[in-house]
Amino acid sequence: MEDIKKTPKLPIKLPKMTYKQQKLFWAIIFLLPWAIGILLLFLVPFIESLRYSFFDLTPQAGEIVKEFIGFENYRYAMNTHVTSISSFRVELLTTTTDVLINLPVLLIFSLFIAVLLNMKFKGRAIVRAIFFVPVILNSAAVVSAVGGGEAINAILEQQGIDRIFDLEFYLLQTGMAPFLITFIVGLIERIYDILALAGVPILLFLASIQSIPKHLYEAAKIEGATSYEMFWLITLPNVTPHIITVTVYALVDTFLTSSVSTIISDELNSQNWGLSSAMAWIYVAVIILILIVLGAFAKLLKIGESHYEN
Amino acid sequence: MKDPKKNARRSRKAKEFSLTFIRSILLIGLCFVILFPTIQQILMALRAPIDVNNPAVIWIPENWSVMNIKIASIVLDYRHAVFNSFKLSGISMILQMASTALAGYAFSRLKFKGSNILFILVILTIVIPPQALSLAQYLYFRNLGLIGKEGSIYLMSGLGMGIRSGIFIYIFRSFFKGLPKELEESAMIDGAGVFRTFWSVMLPNARGALVTVGLFAFVWQWNDAYYVKIFEVSTQQFPLLTMRLINAAENMYAALFYTGGLDLIGQDVWENPVFLALISNVSALLMMLPLLIMYLFVQKQFVESIERTGIVG
Repeated sequence: MEDIKKTPKLPIKLPKMTYKQQKLFWAIIFLLPWAIGILLLFLVPFIESLRYSFFDLTPQAGEIVKEFIGFENYRYAMNTHVTSISSFRVELLTTTTDVLINLPVLLIFSLFIAVLLNMKFKGRAIVRAIFFVPVILNSAAVVSAVGGGEAINAILEQQGIDRIFDLEFYLLQTGMAPFLITFIVGLIERIYDILALAGVPILLFLASIQSIPKHLYEAAKIEGATSYEMFWLITLPNVTPHIITVTVYALVDTFLTSSVSTIISDELNSQNWGLSSAMAWIYVAVIILILIVLGAFAKLLKIGESHYEN
Repeated sequence: MKDPKKNARRSRKAKEFSLTFIRSILLIGLCFVILFPTIQQILMALRAPIDVNNPAVIWIPENWSVMNIKIASIVLDYRHAVFNSFKLSGISMILQMASTALAGYAFSRLKFKGSNILFILVILTIVIPPQALSLAQYLYFRNLGLIGKEGSIYLMSGLGMGIRSGIFIYIFRSFFKGLPKELEESAMIDGAGVFRTFWSVMLPNARGALVTVGLFAFVWQWNDAYYVKIFEVSTQQFPLLTMRLINAAENMYAALFYTGGLDLIGQDVWENPVFLALISNVSALLMMLPLLIMYLFVQKQFVESIERTGIVG
């Protein structure tokens, strides 16, 4: 700054203007591939698929015959559609309720793990590395091949050990409420799935915890705050702005890997194109609806607003 | 009671100890849960096929053998499929990193009127599921003659519409936002243009984001079954691991029959349905193995990168 003041002869103003223009020029260049992509591969298909959902499309030698049928596809998807094991409506309902129940659990769990992983302890690097292994291994192909562990269980069962430790039986002995037991046992049985789903949320939370200024903790420590107080008064308020990000990610991710997704893909593959488009749009509507409700909730509870900056 | 200071210190120490203790138990337990299936799969892969009928073998194989791995690799057409998967994931990773880093930089540092409105479109690409778009995309690519070719995936990645590109743009944007303004200013004073600033000052500082995005782009492409299926990328000439695995898992017996895997073992073994499940498992392990090995190498960078990915609103 001082250097600039000392040499007033330099034509500072002119290059600054061009720098701004330069910025706009490069912004256009930088965004060009993405802009082409969003136009041709997102917006056009987006509108097209909305149009398709009102048509009955039948493939015929080299071309597609379209017939306008209005909301028939939507009606069919919601009322009549059945697969061999389930139906679109049932799967949509169960997925939605599952998401709404699991989302808070997922958020709390991943925040908890992120806080744990952020602490200083021996072997932290190894533990962190292990925690992101499920993110790497989380694939639909692997799940279909392993059959959700059924194959392994079949082998173990055949050999006479189905469960090393029968938790459900043990908990029943303690006299706990049955619905609570099913919830806990369900959680524990799904712990690998939860861990796999929580990988990216943990990552996002960890990154946001890392970005909290260190001096806040130092000051609190000098004032004699316990780590419990530091969590509630420093970590949590600073992490809340990112809860929205994590929620959106987790919501989209769980829907993407749900059975609803599978049904839509199956219909697409069996060339029921109009129907699958309509289903996809119902699915989009549900996600957006949930997001709006959550957003309203967040506004109401003032989650997501920066704690210090405003 | 006599010395309250001493008491307080003792109770704090006890608290600290119990915290460490509970934390260790939790983390060790969860790490075990994570590693358990993989260890189990590796041990199952290494047992001889005849051990399938042996009830005494639970964990440690009685007869060690790589026969299962051999059969699974025949079923997957492993040598070709691994090469192709590497090629597809590698190229699309580079394309995706390039397109999303540029877009992320433009959204964070080269702001102009309306760039925030454009960013809403990025969020929209995250929220809208691929199913809503894939039919129109399919018809589009069919007109371009890209169905059944890897080019379709490269085109998507290069134009920033690949698998979860929106999230990558978001990550890059928040990362570049977090870099100090002084970096840009000092580069400008030194006479660097916008592109020079981006290329030689900002990008090298964004290593954390680059590692994270690169890893995810590679892994998600490797694991992708959806786009690969829609665009019919996996063919006889260009087999991909995911599609081979899914096809084999759907009907393991047929896959073994057609690839000649049955000839390697006796009838008493392949008649056992547990054996078919076992080969399915080993195939899944084989698909994940290159990723696990790769992760072992980049894991340190990745874990360190979290420390530097500091996401800012």
